[in-house]
Amino acid sequence: MKKIVLAVSAVMLSAVTVAMAAGDPIATRKTLMDANGAAAGVSAAMLKGDLDYNPAIAKSAIMTLRAVAHSYGSFFPEGSDKGDTKASPKIWSDNAGFEAELAKFRADADAAAKAAGKDGPADLDAFKAAVTPVFGHCKTCHQDYRLK
Amino acid sequence: MTVRRLILAIIVLVVAGGLAFWLLTIPRGLDPKSVADLAPGDAARGERIFWAGGCISCHGRPGAKGDARLQLAGELELKTPFGIFVPPNISPDKADGIGAWTLGDFANALKRGVSPEGRHYYPAFPYPSYSRMKLGDVADLFAFIKTLPPVSGRTPPDQLSFPYSVRRGIGLWKLLYLSDKPVVRLPADASEQAKEGQYLVEGPGHCGECHTPRSFLGGTEDSRWLSGAVAVEGKGHVPNITSGKGGIGDWSEKDIAYYLESGFTPDFDSVGGAMVDVQENIAHLTAADREAIAAYLRAVPPHPNGYPASKK
Repeated sequence: MKKIVLAVSAVMLSAVTVAMAAGDPIATRKTLMDANGAAAGVSAAMLKGDLDYNPAIAKSAIMTLRAVAHSYGSFFPEGSDKGDTKASPKIWSDNAGFEAELAKFRADADAAAKAAGKDGPADLDAFKAAVTPVFGHCKTCHQDYRLK
Repeated sequence: MTVRRLILAIIVLVVAGGLAFWLLTIPRGLDPKSVADLAPGDAARGERIFWAGGCISCHGRPGAKGDARLQLAGELELKTPFGIFVPPNISPDKADGIGAWTLGDFANALKRGVSPEGRHYYPAFPYPSYSRMKLGDVADLFAFIKTLPPVSGRTPPDQLSFPYSVRRGIGLWKLLYLSDKPVVRLPADASEQAKEGQYLVEGPGHCGECHTPRSFLGGTEDSRWLSGAVAVEGKGHVPNITSGKGGIGDWSEKDIAYYLESGFTPDFDSVGGAMVDVQENIAHLTAADREAIAAYLRAVPPHPNGYPASKK
């Protein structure tokens, strides 16, 4: 339960973390992925039935994913492959491929946000249909563009 | 006189050394009788072994999705410090794959690393793990692979640098590292579940091949079993999956099973890199198999990270 509460509060904080985008690109992109992870965590808790479905929380998770999808790609300047990062050199050597992955992530996150509407997805099935494609991108992008 | 005797002694030593090398490195298959007695496998049961064994990860076409993953054409290139290994076509194609193999050929390849022509395979093919597989499972796997689509086309040969290019030398390597015995001695009161997990992890799953550091000779250091390692291929490291420092001690068995099913860590980071294929293969197993793997991973001795701290 504690984990779920933490996940929910992290989702709420996500707007703040996006605003923090300054200075250190490696640290910034990590905070963005942490927000994504928290959004995935609270989503999975609802999908698995560990947390009762709540459309407002669902919408918050979707909007977090979407904010990350729209901002994440801006924090990979040349040279930021060095340092405390698991970013794969392929991000820079195959930048077009990386950008294509991000574009798909953005498109599915936008579609999920549209499906969420004003009050969030009506029920768990609607939520599942909206977020499942978005979460599919975690793996496909990490497979090629992150070490391990 | 002394010089002649010295030369003679050197000749004798070289010949004896060559003879010893030749004798020690003869590729040795399984006892032919144990293979001859083997009943034909069951393809349905073999599918489980196929996913546990992760054959697709190396023999599938890189980047293939859906049913195209089942075309075991080879084509991937494994770039390692020893050279480039190209996993061959193991589709049931009669000319280019393993369609003309007997079950005995297949069992010798998996359990002894010996080809139908009687040559050593390089241990990039993880037969040191597969040697721990039950013969019945080998037969089932063979039956399943026979049901997959035949694909024509041969892969280019491996490109290895000396001395690794001396294939016969693998015979010595096998004397050191090839054993069908379990790696970890589980506690006497270990559950049946953990024992089943041990078989899946140490045998077909061949998890230790990437997650265990290797000696300079390229053998797994079993005293640091599953403690993580510098990636043999490419950059970075393969994580420590024991409960030791840097490992996954704070994951519950449920967390491990969920990760193998969904690809999400307890922090809802996702699986990445080469592990994506592995996770998707393991997701095809039953929940009970994933729980068994988790129970075993909880039971293995904890070790600190098997790779240097600077390797992130």
